[in-house]
Amino acid sequence: MKDNNSRRLAVDIGGLVLKNPVMTASGTFGYGEEYASFIDLSVLGAIVVKGLSITPREGNPPSRIMETASGMLNAVGLENVGVRAFIDVKLPFLREFDVPVIANILGDTPEEYCEVAHIVNEAEGIHALEVNISCPNVAKGGIDFGVNPDLAFKVTEGVKKATDLPVIVKLTPNVTDITEIAKSVEDAGADAISLINTLTGLSIDIEKRIPHLNNITGGLSGPAIKPVALRMVWEVVRAVSIPVIGVGGIMKAGDALEFLIAGAKAVQVGTANFVNPRSTVEIIDGIVAYMERKGIDDIEDLIGTLKT
Amino acid sequence: MGGLRGDVVAMADPEKSIETGIIISNREIFKDHFLMILRVPTDFRASVPGQFLMLRREEGDHPFLGRPFSVHSLYSIDGDTVMEILYRISGTGTALIAKLNADDRVTILGPLGRGFDVPRRKKKIVLIAGGMGIAPLFYLAESLAKKRRDELGETVLYYGAQSSQYFCGLDRLKRLCSSLKLSTDDGTAGYHGPVTDLVADDALSFERDDSALFACGPYGMIKEMARIAGKFSIPCQVSVEEKMACGIGACLGCAVRASGENTSKRFMRVCKEGPVFDTGEIDWNYREG
Repeated sequence: MKDNNSRRLAVDIGGLVLKNPVMTASGTFGYGEEYASFIDLSVLGAIVVKGLSITPREGNPPSRIMETASGMLNAVGLENVGVRAFIDVKLPFLREFDVPVIANILGDTPEEYCEVAHIVNEAEGIHALEVNISCPNVAKGGIDFGVNPDLAFKVTEGVKKATDLPVIVKLTPNVTDITEIAKSVEDAGADAISLINTLTGLSIDIEKRIPHLNNITGGLSGPAIKPVALRMVWEVVRAVSIPVIGVGGIMKAGDALEFLIAGAKAVQVGTANFVNPRSTVEIIDGIVAYMERKGIDDIEDLIGTLKT
Repeated sequence: MGGLRGDVVAMADPEKSIETGIIISNREIFKDHFLMILRVPTDFRASVPGQFLMLRREEGDHPFLGRPFSVHSLYSIDGDTVMEILYRISGTGTALIAKLNADDRVTILGPLGRGFDVPRRKKKIVLIAGGMGIAPLFYLAESLAKKRRDELGETVLYYGAQSSQYFCGLDRLKRLCSSLKLSTDDGTAGYHGPVTDLVADDALSFERDDSALFACGPYGMIKEMARIAGKFSIPCQVSVEEKMACGIGACLGCAVRASGENTSKRFMRVCKEGPVFDTGEIDWNYREG
């Protein structure tokens, strides 16, 4: 597929072909509705919807967010309408657009992940799954699935069995060696990997000596985490052979290009959507402008070209 | 409690947009309190009183999130559309916004959210403002003054501030409202004590079917207004403030707990389902303070 400027932007993510490499990051784009009055959703590479659980979750009590230096902490608590309400109420709206929909799924147990994956698999208009393994494993004392290679393997393997759709596993950066987890989910059959999820952080109100967030800790996102995300993407790209999707602090086209040069086949734009609802479109335009300026005809000729 | 929302003046839901505003002036009216006057595009959609904007400096990356402000006034002057924003420095973001000068540019996203729904044919409209809570209520008073010229009925403003020098726009408010009742925390003007005391004292005189209350102020004050409105069964809408990142319903940061009467969603978004709520919609124990 070529765009108007004859630049080839399409990328293949584990069998899912995107018209361009720019998607939305889960939890920052709702189910698309909020952004449809600002942009044409059909121009996006893909939409990754807010994480879906087997039953609705009400999320954490406020305060849920706090801006920090070049970033924000959030502890929304995976509030979502539940996978069935998503399919019945939210998905019909997204089907109106010419854009792949990726369902981000989560659970408290490996079985719950599989159940959500199975339900999503039966729905019309979902093109891939993204598995959020940054969730506490309730049965195993609350340790996150994503920090343990064996648990990450188990969840990935189960989800793969429950669906025919491409499976992307989204990694948490809150680990000692991200390549170990990446290799584990690749071995379990993941079709692609996205990283990074938020970095766990804390912010304190010194007057009251209380945390700014009701949940005490929260996930840090925004420009502050971009160098960490970029480093981890670069490490994972060299450790696995499946496609890697870069996420973390992408605000402008230049940020997205850094991830592509580091070897990510696609990117997700998250917190930037909160600042400017048109960020994704401006980033796509900026990538095209860069390719024109550099005389690059095919985005594949740019991906992974970091000179070291 | 019967809400106001079944019986409203039809107001279009204006489409939101991203625009550039150019600052005409941004001056401190008293300590840490500022009035920003902005020129906005002439086709800027008219906002309903109570709606808000996300405002961000065009230059600079810190802070990077916009900040929510209610519209204080919106009018045409010499062919320009002019918007006023009344605000208080409450953190790093507003401190930097306070440093902006004439001709500086800001990005404004809006108008956003659900504003005040003003019922027709109420004899008495009661506005209750605590401190900066006057910001959206001033715009509501302006809009009511235009509408109610040909209607019977009065608009009464109860307005509380820390001290007598901390009232904003009293001269203009006197022209817009039928009567003004003031209170101060330090007793330097009007009643010495919380403004909600004044309202509670008068509440028996409000005819419950012919009055409507609109309040904005600190959390403790609007929580008390919710109690008074419930006790006297008078419909009351309040404008709620919470931290928010996006202002358009995506980040889910600005959650308030829905009351038992509203169990379909445990949390509501201030930016989307609000910022104006009927007091009965909210579980007022959703946060401390």
